[in-house]
Amino acid sequence: MGKKLWMIFGPLLVASVVLIGLLFSPFKINRISPTIEKQAATSLSPNILKGDAVKRAALSDPYYVPFFGSSEFSRFDLTHPSVMAEKYNWDFRPFLMGAAGTQSLTHYFQMQGINHQLKNGKAVFVISPQWFVKKGANPQAFSFYFSQLQAVNFLQKQHGTRTDRYAAHRLLKMEQNTDNGNGMINKALRQVAQGQKLSASTQRNISYYKRLLAHEDQLFSSLKLKDDNQKKINRQLQALPNSESGDLIRQAIIKQAKQQTSNNDFGIKNSFYSHRLKDKLGKFKGFERNYDYTKSPEFADFQLVLNQFAADKTDVLFVIPPINQKWANYAGLSQSMLKGFNKKIKYQLKSQGFDHIADLSNQGSQPYFMQDTIHLGWNGWYAFDKKVKAFVDGEQEIPSYKMNNQFYAKSWQNLAPDDLNSYIKNNG
Amino acid sequence: MNTKETVLNILADLTGSDVSNSMDENLFETGLLDSMGTVQLLLQLQTELGIMAPVSEFERSEWDTPNKIIAKVEAMQ
Amino acid sequence: MLSLTPYENPMYFGMLAVAFIPIVVGILWGKRFRWYELLVSIGFILLSFGGPKWEQGVALVGFLIFEVILVSLYNVYRKKKNDTWVFVIAVLLAISPLVVVKLTPLMSGTPSIIGFLGISYLTFKAVQTVMEIRDGVLKDYNPWFFLQFMAFFPSISSGPIDRYRRFRKDYESVPDREKYLNMLEKALHYVFLGFVYKFMLAYLFGTILLPKVQHLAVQSTGLSWGLVGVMYVYSFYLFFDFAGYSLFAVATSYFMGIETPMNFNQPFKSKNIKEFWNRWHMTLSFWFRDYVYMRLVFFFMKHKIFKNPKTTANITYVLNMLLMGFWHGEKWYYIVYGLIHGVALVINDWWLNLKKKNPDRFPHNKFTEYLAIFITFNFVCFTFLVFSGFLDTLWFH
Repeated sequence: MGKKLWMIFGPLLVASVVLIGLLFSPFKINRISPTIEKQAATSLSPNILKGDAVKRAALSDPYYVPFFGSSEFSRFDLTHPSVMAEKYNWDFRPFLMGAAGTQSLTHYFQMQGINHQLKNGKAVFVISPQWFVKKGANPQAFSFYFSQLQAVNFLQKQHGTRTDRYAAHRLLKMEQNTDNGNGMINKALRQVAQGQKLSASTQRNISYYKRLLAHEDQLFSSLKLKDDNQKKINRQLQALPNSESGDLIRQAIIKQAKQQTSNNDFGIKNSFYSHRLKDKLGKFKGFERNYDYTKSPEFADFQLVLNQFAADKTDVLFVIPPINQKWANYAGLSQSMLKGFNKKIKYQLKSQGFDHIADLSNQGSQPYFMQDTIHLGWNGWYAFDKKVKAFVDGEQEIPSYKMNNQFYAKSWQNLAPDDLNSYIKNNG
Repeated sequence: MNTKETVLNILADLTGSDVSNSMDENLFETGLLDSMGTVQLLLQLQTELGIMAPVSEFERSEWDTPNKIIAKVEAMQ
Repeated sequence: MLSLTPYENPMYFGMLAVAFIPIVVGILWGKRFRWYELLVSIGFILLSFGGPKWEQGVALVGFLIFEVILVSLYNVYRKKKNDTWVFVIAVLLAISPLVVVKLTPLMSGTPSIIGFLGISYLTFKAVQTVMEIRDGVLKDYNPWFFLQFMAFFPSISSGPIDRYRRFRKDYESVPDREKYLNMLEKALHYVFLGFVYKFMLAYLFGTILLPKVQHLAVQSTGLSWGLVGVMYVYSFYLFFDFAGYSLFAVATSYFMGIETPMNFNQPFKSKNIKEFWNRWHMTLSFWFRDYVYMRLVFFFMKHKIFKNPKTTANITYVLNMLLMGFWHGEKWYYIVYGLIHGVALVINDWWLNLKKKNPDRFPHNKFTEYLAIFITFNFVCFTFLVFSGFLDTLWFH
């Protein structure tokens, strides 16, 4: 009987032991190759944000600079920073993190796996005014980029600060199903949100679970990369002049941009215009008149990100992109509202010591600055590139941030920019 | 007529073929008998031999060859 | 509290494996630890119907109590008398909870509070028991055993639908060592085949491909390549998902020394629609064959309702399949699905008969067999498209 039993269950036992060894061993089991790193830097795949292994491998080398942002990164035209860096062989390469729907909260949680890599390093962060809507981040979009690994990373590093409590509270609000039904993560998050300490056994279980997730990530996340973007980049490389001369580049920009914005008066890329706007153009007139980016939970989510940068002593360049002026005029987007947003976000940055701000917001009327309604393109990317390159190539500063938890408060989230002066008086 | 002949006659009627040469042939697998035929068989047994075999009694694997059917019927008489 | 849908989570399988060690060791040494088995069953039922799903759990317990009392009362009655009307009332009462659960959403738009995952499968088990008591073949009906038969946890949520007498034979004996070792071997094979079916192939078809073809199909309201894609992709998804689940349920029962019948037997290689129903969701179609079709035919023939046996068969086919359609749910597409299959069985019988009577006119060779498989497969996929409800979304929403 023993032999027969072994014939039946032996293979299963052996396979289980190997699998458990693979998933729970304390060792790293898969090396991420430089090719994968390069691919990951421009892939914009959700699994880059969900996982740790690839990001960590790439960002351990200062050659890759983390770029946090959202949908603008997918606009690969000739002056896109990834194209420029490759063409002119800059000393660094952007590691793009962000895609449609990624906002502050996604970035806060995906940063939890790379705190070590962010420490004392440099980063670029593109703030989209469109994130700061009344309802804040969209739970579905958040969920698309969320992983349990992020939650586990967060639970391991938190120690009950105001930031940790707020982050746990937000995560629970966004994500109904923070764990695949086993309840542990959810319970731990609730405890953190309520300011309770995690028990030793919970912490131990979390660290086992973390091993499992981390190994899964190491084994599989590099398999799921898309590399379509490299093809786009290769095509754009051809469009750039061989020498990095401002005049030649500007000529190339005009050549490409003119050709690609020929079917409309907004300076919007033809394909975007014909697919997304043309048929509904009438509907859009004045449509954005009541849009408001000045009161939003996003301001507090953004504060989470700032706190993380401060904790990691990361030297960050914040970029505030403009909105296509012609489009804004057509859609009725309020200029004073945008100015108010600008004032408010800059106060949140500067008052806490984040002084590197590339404010492009008043350049939305420059020709070929935007690729469509809200995303940087051609001249916009070029302006972006210059600021970013100067920042990354410049001296590494040791930042001194003075964090202020007031920015989590509802009173800040919903503060009208007009009341900013009195707010400063009362809170400063 | 004895039981065996009666059963064989009923089966010949139902299947349209003489099964007396293939007494161990599976009637369901060959398609000679189906659920409908089964019910007809049970009814015929009832009228001709007075056997009350309810549908629940009918377990396919016990009724699938002429020999088995005859054995079942004889047991129930 | 922890709550897991059966067979959907690695943890569920892990827990099964651990819980089964004493059972397996016991059976290998010719012993069944009844109390331990009971404990495991209760544990896994709690796992499926506890925690956030406690309302379903309460509904399940209520349903079980109701059915056990009903069937036991009928058994007591049947020992003394055998009136048809009492039998009819007993059957109607046995299916009444299911009818309420199926009709509540139509009336009020919300799911019934007495519903739970698996109610329709348990109803089958109860109804067949009533019918067999009526026929006098369950002379030693035992309420306590009936409860265990109903609540047998490996198949509680979606079948396969076992039979009282068959289950009792397995349950009351212990398989000998050699036989049990073979069952274990098969069980493990089924579990891993189930993994391939449910977590790889059903995932491929259902999670990866289906949304893509559905997206293509909704671009137009008529016939499109996308719709053809939905038809095949959904069919394969349905098969692999359900066959995978059924393999888990069968394997789990094998570990417990119970040979729960298989549910699928390579259905897509059927040569005609009748054969298909002998290979697809077999325990359901056999249930309908034995407890609906044969009984209706018996009734019609005995009372000579229709002149011709053929007419009887045909009408009963359609009634039988229509009832199966209604059982799936009170939606037009389930009912149409049943109707199509009923009519298909009628045509199938007519065709086979025609062929049998004219062997010279219709050739029969390898090619015609493949052609038959091809036609049957495509027909079945078409009916699954109806069944999927996708046409409802496409046309009416």
